[in-house]
Amino acid sequence: MSDSFESILDESISALQAGIPVEEILAEAPEYAAQLRPLLFAATVLADPNPRLVPEERKSALRAVYMQQVAELPAVAAPTFSQKTQAVFRIIRRRLTPKAVLSDLATVIVTVALTLLMSLLLLSYVAQTALPGDFLYSLKRSSEAVQLSLTFGAARRAGLAETFNQRRLAEIEQLIQQNRAAVVDFRGILETKGENLWIIAGQTVFLPTDVILEGQPQEGDEVEVIGFLRTNEVLVADTISVVK
Amino acid sequence: MTSEDSLLARIQRHDPQALADVYDRYFDQIYRYLNYRLGEPDVAADLTGEVFLALVNALKVDKPPRVSLSGWLYSVARNLAADYIKEKYRTVPLDDDLAADDSLLTEQAYLAHLTPLLKKALLQLTEEQQHVVALRFGQGLSLAETAQLLERSVGSVKALQHRALASLARFMPQEVDHE
Repeated sequence: MSDSFESILDESISALQAGIPVEEILAEAPEYAAQLRPLLFAATVLADPNPRLVPEERKSALRAVYMQQVAELPAVAAPTFSQKTQAVFRIIRRRLTPKAVLSDLATVIVTVALTLLMSLLLLSYVAQTALPGDFLYSLKRSSEAVQLSLTFGAARRAGLAETFNQRRLAEIEQLIQQNRAAVVDFRGILETKGENLWIIAGQTVFLPTDVILEGQPQEGDEVEVIGFLRTNEVLVADTISVVK
Repeated sequence: MTSEDSLLARIQRHDPQALADVYDRYFDQIYRYLNYRLGEPDVAADLTGEVFLALVNALKVDKPPRVSLSGWLYSVARNLAADYIKEKYRTVPLDDDLAADDSLLTEQAYLAHLTPLLKKALLQLTEEQQHVVALRFGQGLSLAETAQLLERSVGSVKALQHRALASLARFMPQEVDHE
């Protein structure tokens, strides 16, 4: 018989014990009425609402016999502090078998590992919206580095690297909108090469006199830029290097 | 710590007042259980006395109840009831007049007619089913309380209860006039 019928039967018995008439209970579950009816009548008959008790005289006589036996019990002193301590050590010693220790150790390791993993996954998820300069930004970059290192195949890896580079450019746009300063880095094609203003991947980059240029960048080259975005929207290059 | 836990701790130290409290607190419950199962008030009273003497004996040999006092007392009562029933019906067979009269009955007459019939039919159930019926209907315990005393899951007690009632329902007349 299904568990659902057993549950309905039990609810019906509870209703019966609360004083609700059988017919009223059956009306609540008409589809089960035929099955429930004989069972509920049996439950009605089995109930013992006014149980008979032992006459007081008999009860007292039985109590007297019992208390006489109780009186013959030897006294047991309450455990002393030392006995309690010894009992605790006995319990600990019982837990100190190699099997118990290994089992406890495995439980602790698995629990800690799972907790760390869950925390890392949660933080990585939260870090996805972080921008350069934010507390969780380094976690975002680390998680991207792990993803890249776990991606096999040159084409797939290059595709993922380009996705991440697009994120860097989008982050610069967000920083500009929020008027925030931060250290940034990105890759892109050197589109225009002025005297001290270059356009790289659509971004105007200012080259101070102490800028480090690696590999003699020319227009059309793919370069990597590390610089500082000021609050006045000026991106000052620190290093520009040609990507080989 | 619940009052039962406190009693448990005190009886383990053979505290006479705690043992008196145990008797006063549980005597009627255990008697009701035994009388429900056996239907013999005098025998039930004697066996109830034996349940409490068993507690004293357990303390004497340093094997007192350690987890649940009521569970321990019901467990002893259950064993005494089962032994008594087994001994009694080993030589005297159960009545074979359990088949019900199928004539049309009013609901009142139906219940009055059924009471002695079902009390006899109870003895046809398995020992565990009898125990569940006595706790659920004789003692009025909830499903959860019954499960705790039996150290079984609520689901398995539900199933035992269902099987017991279904077996008992087989002894009942089919026609009832609900007017």
